[in-house]
Order: sequence, then structure tokens, then C-alpha cells
Amino acid sequence: MSAPLSVRLKRAAVLSPPLLWTFVFMFIPYAILFVYSFWVQKYPTFQPAFQFGNYLQIATDPQYLRVLLRTLKIALFVSLGSALIAYPYAYFLVFKVRRPGFRLALYMAVVAPLWVSYLLRAYTWKIILGTTGILNSFLMSIGVLSEPSSVFLYNQTAMIITLIYVFIPFMVMPIYAVLEKIPKSLIEASSDLGVGRFRTFLMVTLPLSIPGIVAGFTMTFTLTFGDFIAPILVGGPDGLMIANVIASQFGAALNWPLGSALALVMLMIVLTIITISDRFERLGQGKFA
Amino acid sequence: MTKKRFLGCAGIASICVATLASASTAGELNILTWEGYADPSVIEPFEAATGCKVSATYVGSNDDFAPKLAAGGGVFDIVTPSIDTTFSLIEAGFVQEIDISRISAWGDLYKQFTTADGIQKDGKIYGVPYAWGAIPFMYRKDKFDTPPTSIAALWDPALKGRVSLWDDKSALYVAARLNGDMNIYSLSDEQIAAAQVKLIEQRPNIRKYWSTAGELVDLFKSDEVWISNTWGGYQSALLADEGVEVVEFIPEEGAEGWMDSNMIVTGTPNEECAYQFLNMAVSAEGQGGVFRVNGYSSTNPVAAKEFMTPEEFSALHQDDPDYLNSLLLWENLADRLPVYTNAWNSVKSQ
Repeated sequence: MSAPLSVRLKRAAVLSPPLLWTFVFMFIPYAILFVYSFWVQKYPTFQPAFQFGNYLQIATDPQYLRVLLRTLKIALFVSLGSALIAYPYAYFLVFKVRRPGFRLALYMAVVAPLWVSYLLRAYTWKIILGTTGILNSFLMSIGVLSEPSSVFLYNQTAMIITLIYVFIPFMVMPIYAVLEKIPKSLIEASSDLGVGRFRTFLMVTLPLSIPGIVAGFTMTFTLTFGDFIAPILVGGPDGLMIANVIASQFGAALNWPLGSALALVMLMIVLTIITISDRFERLGQGKFA
Repeated sequence: MTKKRFLGCAGIASICVATLASASTAGELNILTWEGYADPSVIEPFEAATGCKVSATYVGSNDDFAPKLAAGGGVFDIVTPSIDTTFSLIEAGFVQEIDISRISAWGDLYKQFTTADGIQKDGKIYGVPYAWGAIPFMYRKDKFDTPPTSIAALWDPALKGRVSLWDDKSALYVAARLNGDMNIYSLSDEQIAAAQVKLIEQRPNIRKYWSTAGELVDLFKSDEVWISNTWGGYQSALLADEGVEVVEFIPEEGAEGWMDSNMIVTGTPNEECAYQFLNMAVSAEGQGGVFRVNGYSSTNPVAAKEFMTPEEFSALHQDDPDYLNSLLLWENLADRLPVYTNAWNSVKSQ
């Protein structure tokens, strides 16, 4: 039996804007990219065609694999680094900070930078890490360095540090959310049964917080994977990432077909990662919840 | 209104109402150009004199023109690409023929520019030369005991981590000249591969490839970089303002030259204003503006005499046709452009 007309109309009214939005601004653009990826570059611009040359070029020219692997590596380091910093912080907030006001303040301290422009936050690291930057001045003032070092800026490490700083709120928020939901009674029960703090953490808290880690990992990983600002601002001559290559195909090379094919390859990688992490998350829930 | 445009508009009605409304307002010019080419000191008197309102959008590189015009939408009326990009815009049909009888100073402009291949097709003219200069190299005076004279200085192991290059296909032009390949705009695949090898060899010396004018100024100012190629006259002046002493030089291997032209976008509804703007740009007012703001050389030597001192006139090589002829004036790479771009990306992927 179907719902009365008025209810169905209301449902449609609520659902149609997001559906329309998704269709117009997600589905159609991706469909256009898909079509473009079979086109062919022909001076001075590009022409409709149906051929797999762009995908073939991505597979055969080693530069694309090199940049993809580099991007994966950097995204992995950023996610790992964020998790290693964010987890202890969130744990501290949830289990060690007693006063709710103080806890909120510390939580906001991580989230608030999101309100500041990404560019500004990334640019700040140039000022910190540069040859005449704050870090060098500090190390020289305490006598660690006798002259400014250039190793801090314009390399992949600087990119990883900057990206961790920029994306870490996306790791803290989901981990904080899952840790907060863990009933304190479970931890008390564990301790009542004579299990030590460290084993309680390994056997109870950590497994229950896996969905949060996975969610944070997925977000920081995909955000880093698509980043093209950090390489320009703080990356060195070996900083090129896949999003920069795509941007240059749409711009400098005026090869939208190749750019579209690259974008779709990138989309496939990101979707694969999201699917895998989704499995992990469900596995975690099924096993431990 | 063309049929195509109308159909496009039916789809996204609200956006198009705004577009059509603004398009029908007479005397509004949207120019896609370089920072410094639409300075208020030039634009405001022009607006006051003609009643044409000017809005400028800035590009970061010549590679920005075609994608912005290819995206369509009839947004821009005038573009100011360099001589390596002009011809592909003509071939793509993005710009329209210019009636030179409506450009009063046409006869005063350098013949090398008004007859350049890049701005004409089938005997028709598509661009009005506006400004020109070289891509010399510049170095921090306090860091070099003996002034560098060759591109090879950028490969000197003593300059580890102190070199920068423009993040652009022109890096290949530099490396090719070091290899002795002077045909930098028609390099063969082997010559490009050899240039790539040279650039990868240079990697330990590179601190950062610069992508905007301001970035290179920052790199010199914050003591990251001591030597690089540069947009002649522009960044060195900005650094001089900051108290950083740099010296520009043309290496033994020669320097690239560039020339920017104003072009009218195909089908502009503001043609009258566009021609007024083009005339202003090559007049003493317009040329004086680009000289004062950017320090670039003038394409109109007759007008330049009005606002340059004799010393400035010769410092900017306005009286020296040999200098102009010695520059490797940028050329359109046509169907070789993607080869160059991918080769440069490949260097950066290492």
C-alpha cells in the first residue's frame, strides 16, 4: 500500500533538491569527463573521437605511474602522521580532560583552523620552515645550528608536514566522536576483571575506535590525494603530484582529453580506497559492536 | 543572439538572464590580461575619456588564455597573450581580424612586430603589439665574486640548492641552449630528450621552480635562491624596491624574447570600445603606463620618446634593433606544444 499523495509529495519535495544537486553537479560533470577521455588532442584544441589513446598514454608513459606512486606515498604518510598525532590527542580529550568547558576549548583549537583559508594556513609553513624562517632562527638562537639550514622547506617532508597540519581536523573529529561514544562501563568492567590499563586499551578501546580511525584515514588520504596547492607552495623540484599533472593538462597542454582520462583514473583509485575502507569500517562494527 | 547561445540559455535560465543583461550594456570591456597591464593610472583616464568601463581578469601564464576562451561563455572582449600563444588563438578561431586602418599608431610600431608571423594569418592581422622584453637571467650581486656570463652557471655544483627556473616549458629552452641546440622552438624528440637529461642533472641545484612573478621575488628576498631566469625588468625592479640588489644578464647562449599583443575576442558585442582600448594601449598614455608600472620596453618607439628620458630610451633598447633581432622571439609550438609540456612534466615527475 502506498503512502497518501500529500506524504509522497512532501517526500519528493525534501528529496529532490539534493538529488537534483547530485545529478547536475556530480553526475553530469563526471559523464562529460568520461566522454572527453575518449576524445583526441588535435592542434589547436581537441576533437571528438572514440579511442583509447589517452588511457594507453597513461599506461605506457612512466611519468604518470611515477607521479601516482609519489602521490600515494605522500597521502599515506599524511594519513599515518595525522593518525599518530590525532589519536593520542582525542584520547586525552575524551578520557583525561575532566572539565567539559576545557575539553570543548581544546577540541575547538583543532577544528577552528578550518575556518581560516587553506592557502593562508599552507603559506604560514613557508614562513616557519624557510631559510630565514622561524624554525631556523629558533635553532640558531639555541645554538643547534650555526648557520641557517635549507633542509626544512621545498621538499616532500615540508609537503607532508603542511598537509598533516591542514587536514588533521578531519582525523581528530571522527576519532573523537567514536571515543566519546565508548561506554565508560566497558573500561571499568575490564579493570574490574583485573586487566591492566595498557591491555584494556589494546583489547577494548582501540578495537572500538577503529571505525573512527578508518573514517579519518579515508578523509585525510583522499584530501591529500587530490591536493595541488602544497606542491606549489612548499614542495620542491620533486613535489609534483597527480592533481598538478591534471591541472597542467587542462591548462598548459590544452589536452582536456588526457586530463579527463587522468582525472577518471584518479577517481577510480579514490573510489577503490573508499570501498576498501568502508569494508574495514563494517568489519570493525560487525566484530566488535 | 545566436541560436546556440539561446538554447544554452534556455537550460540555465537564471544565469543567462544576468549574462545577457550585462552583454547588452554598451561600453563594458572585460579584458583577460597580465597583472600590471590594467593599472588604474591608465584605466581610469581611459574610462573617463571614453565612457567604456573596464574590468580586468589576470592570467598567471600564457597557458591560461586558450582554456579560458575554450570554456566559452562570451565573457571576454580583449586578451593580451604573448607571441607564442597568439597564433594558436587565431587558429582556434577565438580571436577576430583587426582592421588596422582603425589603429592610428599602427605605422609607428616596430616593423619586426607588426609583420611577425604570430599575429597574422592569410594576410590578415589579428593582434596589436603592446609590450616586449627579454627573458634574461638575474643573480644576487652579493653572492657572486665573478659575474656569471653563461647558462652553465645554473649547473655549477657550487650553487647546490641555490638555483631557480620558471616552472614552464621554457625550462627546456634553457637546457637545449646549454646543449648547443639553438632551434629551441622546433626541437626534435632527441633534442628534447637531451634537454630533459640536462634538467634532471640540474636537480640538486634547484631549490624551487617558480610559478608566479611574486614567488621568484620572495625566493630572492628570503635568501633561498641566488640565480634564475626572470621576466626582464619586472622582478628585478620589485627586488630593488625591497633593497635586494640583483643584476640581470643576457647569457652567451642568448635569451628568449617575448612580445605581448592585444587581440579582440571573436564576436565581442563591445567592438567600438575594444578599438578605443587598442588605440589607447599603443598611444603614449598606454605605452607610458606599461613602462612605468612594469618597466617593459615599448612597441611604439615614436610614442616612447614622449615619456622616456634619452637614457631610459636606450636602457630599454628602444634605439637598438640589433638587440631586438638577437633575441630568440617566442614562437608558437603548434602541435609540438603537448610534447614540450609532457616532457617538462616528465622532468618534474622524476
